[in-house]
Amino acid sequence: MSETSDRLLRGYQAQEKRFRERRFPLRFTTESPVVRELYRQAKGMRWNPETDVGWSRFDAAAYPEPVREAARLVWSRRAWGTYPGLGENTALLIRFCLESGAAGMDAKLFLSFRPAEEAKHLEACFLFARALGGYESTPAEAVARASNQPFAQMALDPDVSVEAVVAALGGLDDQLDLNLCLSHLQQSRDETARQILRLIAADKERHALFAWALLADRMPALDAGGRADVGRAVRDMLERVILVGYRNSWLLPAEAREPLLAAEALTARHGLGASTVAQEKAVVRATLAQVRDRLAMWDVALPVVDHPELGRA
Amino acid sequence: MSPYLAETRYPLELAPAMPDVWELWQRAKTLPWDPETDIPWEELHPERYPEEQIMAARLHWSRRTWGEYGAISESPALLLRFCLENRLPDLRFFFTMRTQEEGRHAEASWLMAERLGGYFPQPQNPPTASAVGTHGVRRMAFDPDTSLEGIFASLVCAAEEILIDAFKATVHKATNPAVRRLMELILRDEVRHIAFGWQCLDAWAPSFTPETVQNIERAVTQMIQNVEFNGYRNLWLAIEGGTATPLEIDADRVACEAGLGGTTPEDEMRIVPQFIKKIRARMAPWGVELPMFDHPKLGKV
Repeated sequence: MSETSDRLLRGYQAQEKRFRERRFPLRFTTESPVVRELYRQAKGMRWNPETDVGWSRFDAAAYPEPVREAARLVWSRRAWGTYPGLGENTALLIRFCLESGAAGMDAKLFLSFRPAEEAKHLEACFLFARALGGYESTPAEAVARASNQPFAQMALDPDVSVEAVVAALGGLDDQLDLNLCLSHLQQSRDETARQILRLIAADKERHALFAWALLADRMPALDAGGRADVGRAVRDMLERVILVGYRNSWLLPAEAREPLLAAEALTARHGLGASTVAQEKAVVRATLAQVRDRLAMWDVALPVVDHPELGRA
Repeated sequence: MSPYLAETRYPLELAPAMPDVWELWQRAKTLPWDPETDIPWEELHPERYPEEQIMAARLHWSRRTWGEYGAISESPALLLRFCLENRLPDLRFFFTMRTQEEGRHAEASWLMAERLGGYFPQPQNPPTASAVGTHGVRRMAFDPDTSLEGIFASLVCAAEEILIDAFKATVHKATNPAVRRLMELILRDEVRHIAFGWQCLDAWAPSFTPETVQNIERAVTQMIQNVEFNGYRNLWLAIEGGTATPLEIDADRVACEAGLGGTTPEDEMRIVPQFIKKIRARMAPWGVELPMFDHPKLGKV
């Protein structure tokens, strides 16, 4: 075990010890019909990246070599952005369990499914990158920094409320991730890329809905301080994570954008599963407006941001 | 995000490196089932059983629910450890599916108790919660001083293995079609979970140090003495009877004799010694020597 992983593990250990788990009474009855329904839908939505994508129909040779090279980089980056979902959702599941045995079973059941769904997305991105010429396992340093966020630690931090975690990770990041995925789908012409994005988007739609349904159940019970914490967590996620290029290459530091930006442009032009910068900017702006409106229902303000790349949004 | 530490995440390898474990992940994706729709609930007919048997079966399936919940609330911590230790991708992929399957088992066991007449959300006697509430795997997973090998050996090759040995040995006694189908479906998933543990440990065994071996011996011994013999799976095994009520202790036998799941003391007298003998032999090639265990009902095993 490396020194870093030892320290991280001790960090989890310290976080876990700060909770006093009350496992019993252990209740399974439905508290949130919407979240339970999302769990039911997850059980019914069975797909397998190996067999439910028409890999044999994908003809990589139909694309010039530079296009394949660009697209494999884009789908590798998508894998790097998907991977955190395995850990952060597992941590959130554990958090719900540590909070109470008596409450939250709908969320726990839903979250027991989610890491495997993220793993399927990861596998699909990996397989497509491989079909395009090979998955790239190591991002450039700035991209690695932007895409390596400690969300699992945040989910297990007793000083951050469950509502704040769900609003930041689910309300903002999952919603943006879904909207970007739908944009890529809309811009794609390649049948395989479309198939993958369609399957992933169907899962992501549930993931974003889960966050909003959970918040709708819990936010009304929060006092002003609790709502302020939620607002702070979402702002933090926006300013320190999203706007520094967690999901969008054009938001990375200027010197770190290439070759990703060029790869995304070429991939978008050939319909292999990406959007242009202009299209992504429109998605980010629309998402911020959407998230701001929803949070406003609970008196949580998400201030307008003024960003050199994004403008006022 | 500043108060937290960054993982050493890259290079993020995703290509299969353990073909057997990768195959388990692939297989798991092809065998989904839904507790609400894939069990013939219409054949459960609780009204055909006397009250005593129904009560026993409700107690049995409620306790099974509590046990399955441990795999939602505790063992997923292992995935966090795989991620921050950058373990092979096969482990990470497979373990996400394991959590999903365990969630399904918890829901299915709860549904069974509910449809038999009602799930019990807690033990009848509160102190029993310590025996049936936790196997301690989350604490172990987050403890850098407990080796991953020790956790695998105690959770997968001990706690899950005995569970499945009991299922395998008694599934034929479940004459109720709904109960039987549920046991078969859980068994089908758990066989993969156990295969995962043994495959990993067999692959890692050549690099075991004497410290790793001691860690495995300690973890497995504790799991058997402090968890299994404390009544986590079957309260009849609780040394000195534990704190459970007579009704709870007898529930497995009564439910089993009614064909509604569970085991009898006679089954346990046969299954547990065989299980310990089996894992002792199975771990011996790794240099692991499990001690003899003394149990007031089972004797020296």
